Amino acid sequence: MLVDLPGGWNPLLGRLAWSQIPYDNPILAPLFVAVVLGGIAIVALITYYGKWGYLWKEWLTTVDHKKLGVMYIIIGLVMLFRGFVDGMMIRTQQAWAVGPDSSGVFGALHGYLTPFHYGQVYTAHGLIMILLAATPLLVGFMNIIVPIQIGARDMAYPYLNALGLWITAAGAALIMASLFIGNFAHNGWFGYAPIFEIQYSPGVGVDYWMWTLQLLALGTTLGGINLLVTIIKMRAPGMTWFRLPIFVWASLSANIIALTSFPALQVALGLVAADRYLGAHFFTAGLGGNLMLYTNLFWIWGHPEVYFVILPAFGMMSEIFPVFSEKPLFGYITMVLASFAIAGVSWLVWLHHFFTMGAGPDVNSFFSVATMLVGIPTGVKVFNWAFTMYRGRLTFTAAMLWALGALFLLLIGGLTGMMLAIPAINYMVHNSVFVIAHFHSMLLVIVYAVFGSVIFWFPKVFGFKLDEFWAKTMFWLFTGGTVLVFVPMYMLGFMGMTRRLDYVFNTNWHPYLLVMEGGIVVYTLSVFAFFVLLYVSIRDRVKNRVGADAWGTSRSLEWLTHSPVPFYNFAVTPHVNARDEAAWRRANGIAAVQPAKYVDIHMPNNTPVALYIGALTFVLGFALTWRIWWLCLASLVAIIVLMIVRSYRGDPGYIVTAAELERMEREAIARERQVDGSAGEPVVGGAPAVGRPAMAYERSDLPKTSTPPSMGPGAHH
Amino acid sequence: MSQAHHGHQGGHGHADPILHPEVQMSSGRGYFSGFLISTLLMLIATFLVSSHAAPPFGLLLVITVCAGISIIAQIYFLLHIDISEHNIWNTVSLVAFIPLFVLTIGLTWWMFSQLYLRTMPPMPGMH
Amino acid sequence: MSGHASNNPDPKTAVLWDTEYHGHDVISTRSLGFFMYLLSDGMLFATLFAAYGVLSYQHSYFGGPTPADFVKPWYTFSQTIALFLSVLAYGMGMTALKRRSRGGLINGLLGAFVLGALFLVLDVHDVMDLAAHGITVATSGGTSAFIILTQVHAAHIFFGLLWILVMIYQVLRLGFTTDTVGRLLSLRMFWHFQAVIWVFVYIFVYLWGYMS
Repeated sequence: MLVDLPGGWNPLLGRLAWSQIPYDNPILAPLFVAVVLGGIAIVALITYYGKWGYLWKEWLTTVDHKKLGVMYIIIGLVMLFRGFVDGMMIRTQQAWAVGPDSSGVFGALHGYLTPFHYGQVYTAHGLIMILLAATPLLVGFMNIIVPIQIGARDMAYPYLNALGLWITAAGAALIMASLFIGNFAHNGWFGYAPIFEIQYSPGVGVDYWMWTLQLLALGTTLGGINLLVTIIKMRAPGMTWFRLPIFVWASLSANIIALTSFPALQVALGLVAADRYLGAHFFTAGLGGNLMLYTNLFWIWGHPEVYFVILPAFGMMSEIFPVFSEKPLFGYITMVLASFAIAGVSWLVWLHHFFTMGAGPDVNSFFSVATMLVGIPTGVKVFNWAFTMYRGRLTFTAAMLWALGALFLLLIGGLTGMMLAIPAINYMVHNSVFVIAHFHSMLLVIVYAVFGSVIFWFPKVFGFKLDEFWAKTMFWLFTGGTVLVFVPMYMLGFMGMTRRLDYVFNTNWHPYLLVMEGGIVVYTLSVFAFFVLLYVSIRDRVKNRVGADAWGTSRSLEWLTHSPVPFYNFAVTPHVNARDEAAWRRANGIAAVQPAKYVDIHMPNNTPVALYIGALTFVLGFALTWRIWWLCLASLVAIIVLMIVRSYRGDPGYIVTAAELERMEREAIARERQVDGSAGEPVVGGAPAVGRPAMAYERSDLPKTSTPPSMGPGAHH
Repeated sequence: MSQAHHGHQGGHGHADPILHPEVQMSSGRGYFSGFLISTLLMLIATFLVSSHAAPPFGLLLVITVCAGISIIAQIYFLLHIDISEHNIWNTVSLVAFIPLFVLTIGLTWWMFSQLYLRTMPPMPGMH
Repeated sequence: MSGHASNNPDPKTAVLWDTEYHGHDVISTRSLGFFMYLLSDGMLFATLFAAYGVLSYQHSYFGGPTPADFVKPWYTFSQTIALFLSVLAYGMGMTALKRRSRGGLINGLLGAFVLGALFLVLDVHDVMDLAAHGITVATSGGTSAFIILTQVHAAHIFFGLLWILVMIYQVLRLGFTTDTVGRLLSLRMFWHFQAVIWVFVYIFVYLWGYMS
């Protein structure tokens, strides 16, 4: 039943052989040496400082949503860097390999990358940027912020949360392994049938691509379920639906998309696997297969996925604008409706990725109109942000600058998107770099929103602000890079340059490509500025310490708890009274009121099982890629056994006693008062209502519900 | 609403999980009805199809109706989808999902039938 | 944002911290999450059905055998009965749980296991039989879609059987704890959901395939 493989195979190692290690590649071999040396250096440093125990106890086995979120963001930033290097390689090749007179090195006729290697670079660039940079960055932020914003102590399933992280990490590790063992896919990040069939791509590249995507899809689905249930079931008392911070709404709509669309990706790739491993004919050119079926199945997931990444970015912008405009968000309800409209319409537009398939005028018109509909809710959002800023007290902090940059990019990307929604235009520019420039504008909206959020929420997570000067420097350099790379790219698209060229035949395009290369240099400077930013901020951390309300104008619930957020988030579950609870308490002078008494709280235990299962999914992906059947079976059985054992043992959790809680709270409050004198007199537990006799900190007639109250009559606005 | 009814089960593990409403809504009569309805409908569909009792299109309609009714019966009797308080979120999620199932299958079939009209030579028996 | 402030309580009397809040209901939180997983699993099947729809045209079989040639309606009907009975047995086990009858629950689980295993044996026998007649995933696009779709369902049954065994062991060893009862509820949804999916598979893949 298994297909006949071209090339060697043995039962012990599958397709692995020495010849698969690219030690003679002039780019990869030095990189491999550098990676090994870097790895040894890191291990040596951790050992020298004796940090293994800390790393294991505090990070690798943690189920704390904030630490898991930080690790997601670290994975996202590292992969963003890798994806950036891939992009730099693409730009350099295109700036170099122009015209028949251009030189070639390292075995390439023109430029420095052979076509096969270049194909792997752009495939990796796309896959990494979308699924290993944007997705983990956004999932990381949702993980950290959503539970705090709804006043929950953790996610609904802390262990599942850790599992999602480690499976994502396994996906990242698998794509990194493809650099040095074997090769990666050359079929573009979304893949084309039938080039990924075994006859045309006999190597392991496609298998790496496929299993990496499968792992990431699994990790994201688990994370999506977790966030949805957390938002539905774990809101604090008083947190009615229409008091939810807008970022929570954005996360809710985004994760509905994730939960519903990722199965389509898993099926699309599962069927590719059936073709490549079992010799099925889903997407083959002959024997009744259908090439376009793959494209269809992929984009059933692919288009909703685009909105899965953009909606949280919109949510982030909706948090940043009001804080630095000192006004509540304009049009809260329409913002919520717009998010859900975008999520809903995202399911009606996928064919616009392949208008040129030729399904005819009826089909193309339907999908064209549906695509244009997306412009309406998106326009609503843009106007809402504009009206939020209108007549506000604007503060142009670095976070605000990034959000504004995102807004401008959204305009450009959105308008070019409207152009692309028209089939007649789409036929003209299909597969040209105009399309590339369009979706880079859109994805850069996410990058801008993410960097804005890094600056915005960094003090909440770590307790000190990032350095404003370097954050702004980075912003301007990054924006310079964006303009220099993507304006010429739009122009080249109109001139007819197609995407993915490893050799540019038209020498008239050379000046534009050189400008884009200059843009990449500016981008590189912004990467350095980011490293300086981290260094300077950590160096000056004592100076930059903040209290609970780090910006002084913050609005939502997360700004009520301490910075950095303690592992239990809130010592006592807050009772929510207003839509912008932090702003409401500040406006009424009760922001510093602390709970009158503490009660024991129940927390989940750390567990290494999630880490083990994540590692085993890496082994499984690797074994499937190289067709090492015994190892596939062994790792699969090990995963199932681990799950059964973990399920049998369960997790009783542990109790943080009220006394211990009170001690930690006192310390945190004392620490914050040193930096945040303006926050007013804290009224600490045990001294109820001194000077404020009318204040009821707790009431015995509270409804003892175990689920958050549903939307009350007072929630309508 | 009493505390036992609303369920503090497992909040700290001191309540009896058997009293949880999701355990209590199991009903032997409901499961039996679900079984009977869907088995009967499958029997009818199988009989009609295996005896080619009607022209294909009519037959397709009839078995689609059989499938539809037995799905509804199973969703109601077996999956306990209704608008009671402890099931409401399951119901909401199901209602959110069903249009997406329809869109995924329906739009795919539509676009490919249009594509085949234009790209495949006509063959007898195409549906 | 007019009316925003008027709906908020008076800050002087408002409750700010809620020491009485006991957190979420663990069992229904677990089952909601599991139900969402099942719905995403439903989307997996929907996508497979979409693929099957595209690959069930005459030309998809490339002149080879079509389901009209190899589907045996009454044989597959026996699978249907086995699966529905298994689901019924599980349901009866759950009513025994309601009565706190551990023996009744174990009997229900065992019945569900045996009947589910019967379904799987019939299915595997069917696939082997097809393979003996030269009908595999590699025969044509149409048979690829037919076999993968039906066998993905069978794979769900396989993992469900494994899960039933695990639950029998857990109930015997741990009794009725919040965890085990919660898992029994999730497994109930999983097992009953397979019956729902099977109706689609049976009607639209087996019977419809046999007709056309």
